[in-house]
Amino acid sequence: MKRPFTVLMSAVIVAALSSSLSAQWPLVPKPGVPKGPDGKPNLSAPTPRTSDGKPDLSGIWMRSDRRPGNQGPDQPPIATFGDIGANFKGGLPYRPMALDLVKKRAGGLDNPDALCLPQGPLEYHLDPQPREIIQLPRKIVIVYESNYGIRTIYTDGRALPKQGEPQPYWHGYSVGRWEGDTLVVQSNNFRGALTGKPGDGWLDGKGDPFTDALTLTERFRRVNFGQLQIDVTIDDPKAYTRPFTVRVEQEIVADGSEMIEFICHENQQFLKLTGRER
Amino acid sequence: MTKRAAVLLVAVGLLLPARSLVAHHSFAAEFDASKPVKLTGAVTKFEWTNPHAWIYIDAKDDKTGEVANWGFELAAASGLMRSGWTRLTLKAGDVVTIEGTRAKNGTNNANAQTVTLASSGKKLFAGANTPAQ
Repeated sequence: MKRPFTVLMSAVIVAALSSSLSAQWPLVPKPGVPKGPDGKPNLSAPTPRTSDGKPDLSGIWMRSDRRPGNQGPDQPPIATFGDIGANFKGGLPYRPMALDLVKKRAGGLDNPDALCLPQGPLEYHLDPQPREIIQLPRKIVIVYESNYGIRTIYTDGRALPKQGEPQPYWHGYSVGRWEGDTLVVQSNNFRGALTGKPGDGWLDGKGDPFTDALTLTERFRRVNFGQLQIDVTIDDPKAYTRPFTVRVEQEIVADGSEMIEFICHENQQFLKLTGRER
Repeated sequence: MTKRAAVLLVAVGLLLPARSLVAHHSFAAEFDASKPVKLTGAVTKFEWTNPHAWIYIDAKDDKTGEVANWGFELAAASGLMRSGWTRLTLKAGDVVTIEGTRAKNGTNNANAQTVTLASSGKKLFAGANTPAQ
């Protein structure tokens, strides 16, 4: 039995590596990737830092597929792309209007992801497609491959604007500051579910809603070279009875592969297949 | 490792969902998980596009003998690239067997889970639009 087992394990390893082995995109090794004795990227190497000593979050990140079984007891539940409350004991603290919306959204006809519109904030964090964080001295830009989302986080010390000023954005308005080695990003002025327009106010694939009252707090911590942890707090008194926090985990892409073009409207068949367009 | 063994292992690797494959769109809105479909036919068109690639084949109905054109939705081209596909993986005329799930609207459309090439027997994971995870 040893040989079949060896073959099986080899297959599993190859399968796990297949995205890098078989990628049909030029692999250009990135400078600054720490290497282990075997010459491979050392993902547990220390967190890289910018010239001002702050952790450098820059890089291409994939969502981690680590499952919540490995989660410590005092840590926020792991969110999933389809349902951010999947590991939330007792379910999310919905207000009745939010619960009604979740029921109405079953089936996903108005999911912004499906409509090629900007995804909700947790959909962007958890989509299987990668995202690239570009950390600049006075702002951080995140480019999401999925649906080509671009988000700016201002880190120049400006204050978070009042709700309603400026006009609500798909990605909200985001400002960031460092608390030790944690980047704390606060965002408000989102287009919320109360507009009634398809795609507005979806946190995840299930349709857990947010409204224009949302203040989103994201705590980014680059644990080491290879791991990024984002604790996301949803504070939306119109949709939920209390703020709650979930965790997102991402892993660095260190094999030299890049973001790939994704023009969502190129061959969009969703409206036809769901009978809303001929 | 022999070349043959390496090819086999890579092929096995392609059978399994690569961790980065795209799960775009709302599966339940478009497809009926209770209606599996398996069809064989020649490729008439291969659209290497986003948000999903599409394969069209002329498939013969075993009962009536009639030939109909069917469209199968795959993952996004970007996700397929990460799991080993290229725009040249299929061309018009290639005979394939596709297993998937029928569209809810009753048209000759489905999503594809696996695509097997008749010429080589190679089975490719198509990974289209799986229920969101």
